[in-house]
Amino acid sequence: MNESILEEAKVIYSDPNQFNENKHSNEFIIEVQDLKKSFNGIKAVDGISLKVRKGELFSLLGPNGAGKSTTIRMLTTVLKPTNGDARIKDHSLIKEKDKIKPLIGVCPQENVVFEALTAEDNVEFVGRMHGMDPADIKRRTKTLLEKMNIAGRKKPAKSFSGGMKRRLSLVMSLIHLPQILFLDEPSAGLDPQARRLVWDFIKNLKKTGMTIILTTHDMIEADVLSDHIAIMDHGKIIASGTLEELKRSSHNGNILEFSFSSKEELIQAKRKLKQIDKVKKITEMENNKLIISFTGGVKTFKREILREIEMFKTLHFREDSLEDIFLKLTGRGLRD
Amino acid sequence: MNMIDLKAWYIAKKNVKEKLKNYGTMFWTVAFPIMMLIVYKLAFTEDGTTMINGLTVFDVEFPGIVVYTIGISTVSSAVMFSMSKKDGTLEFIDSMPVSRGNVFLGAVISEAIFMNLQLILLFGFGYGVLGAHFELAMMPIGYLIAMIYGVASIGLGLIIASFLNSPEGANGIAMLTHMSLMFVSGSFFPLDNGSVFFTPQYWVKQVYLQLTVIGDSFSDLMYSGTIITPTSEATFFPIWGGILMILAFTAAFIILGVKIFQKKTTL
Repeated sequence: MNESILEEAKVIYSDPNQFNENKHSNEFIIEVQDLKKSFNGIKAVDGISLKVRKGELFSLLGPNGAGKSTTIRMLTTVLKPTNGDARIKDHSLIKEKDKIKPLIGVCPQENVVFEALTAEDNVEFVGRMHGMDPADIKRRTKTLLEKMNIAGRKKPAKSFSGGMKRRLSLVMSLIHLPQILFLDEPSAGLDPQARRLVWDFIKNLKKTGMTIILTTHDMIEADVLSDHIAIMDHGKIIASGTLEELKRSSHNGNILEFSFSSKEELIQAKRKLKQIDKVKKITEMENNKLIISFTGGVKTFKREILREIEMFKTLHFREDSLEDIFLKLTGRGLRD
Repeated sequence: MNMIDLKAWYIAKKNVKEKLKNYGTMFWTVAFPIMMLIVYKLAFTEDGTTMINGLTVFDVEFPGIVVYTIGISTVSSAVMFSMSKKDGTLEFIDSMPVSRGNVFLGAVISEAIFMNLQLILLFGFGYGVLGAHFELAMMPIGYLIAMIYGVASIGLGLIIASFLNSPEGANGIAMLTHMSLMFVSGSFFPLDNGSVFFTPQYWVKQVYLQLTVIGDSFSDLMYSGTIITPTSEATFFPIWGGILMILAFTAAFIILGVKIFQKKTTL
């Protein structure tokens, strides 16, 4: 992020007495209490409660349909909860929507840009809606668009690629330097290079003390960016904490990924694995794949395994990941 | 709905920019009425037929083209609002500190800018180039009536957009509604049927016709004139009654439009 914006953002977001880069305060800026949303009797969000610290990057991680976007839409005031309330900077979501709106920035899941307008016009419009001074809009637009590699384009946004629209959408959510930024799947549909650019950008935003709420079904994204992760499934938060806390609380031991050439090989291996004491859990995945959690050292276990199982395609040892935690909690993968 | 402020102007500015880049809309709003004028001029002038007070059919039908042109706002507002529902821009604006009042007013301002542009083009071409008859002193009243009807058209478009999420569907239904009302009201071709009284287009066309084309004294017409049917038969409605009908249709469409749209899009 450009130094001038960073400095500007620091002044806006940080309490001069408490500011400390990369450290979030103990003050809760968002407190959600028993939030529910149903659509025609179907529960999209089923009584979630959470607290977000000021300056924290809080991720809602879960598969598609888990209720992440519905939660974001409620917290950004566009969707009325069926039940429950949230306090955003001490303002009630139900009773004080108008006081919350100036504090937040939203980058929705779908690329919401005004297709017929140029990138500059899109950003200027959002700035105007937030009552910004034209000179500030111009200065920040230039800096942010340059940072996102979409500056100087005079063509309408409809001519942009999906990735460019995504980056423009991010700039639009930031132009007024909100105190709380909601990013709904910010890197969805981006190529690896653009994804890295967006991640670096978000990391720098964190340094300004901005509170960021992010939804993702990408465990790597949650892993790389988050201070705190809440795992959602079927409209509920099934686990919450820092990455370390989550790993500790649901420790699976070490992980072995086994893939086989045929279903028969897999069944045979599964039978043999069940007889090994060190094996804690066996989960069958798609494409003739098994995920095994085990106790003890990798070397000893590998020796033992290779003695028992001869027919397999690949064998891969790794550490416990968010995907494994999700798998343990729900019995299925994030992409299922 | 909260306070309406300067943000409505910025919304209008954005709408105008979007509309100027939509060539399809520009064709229906600007080019098509000009084409219709030429067709009417060619079709109704050469035979020398005159109607009331020596006016040609073209003179008398000119208000119909004004009604058609301004009524296109039904289509453009239906498309604009349904598009904002479909592409998520309405929800995005809802997340910002902007009231729906500003959104609606912004739409009215942007449409009004286009309506003015349309009327200037139409009057310039119809009266200036093609020589349609008009009473100069009464022209501002005709202009005002057309603009009021434009607001009614935006309201009708808003009602249509409330029920349709796809801009393509909204475009089709709004065009169907607009064209049906144009025919039912006798605005394109004279229609001797009681159904005309239930359309705003009828009142707009007849009041406009009698005040700005036929009439030369506003006060005489207002107090002693009666509305005529498209086939030139006198009705028992006074002209001021016609103006009241236009205002009533406008109020009903815009209030219903805002209420229904709010109900359908407040989640």
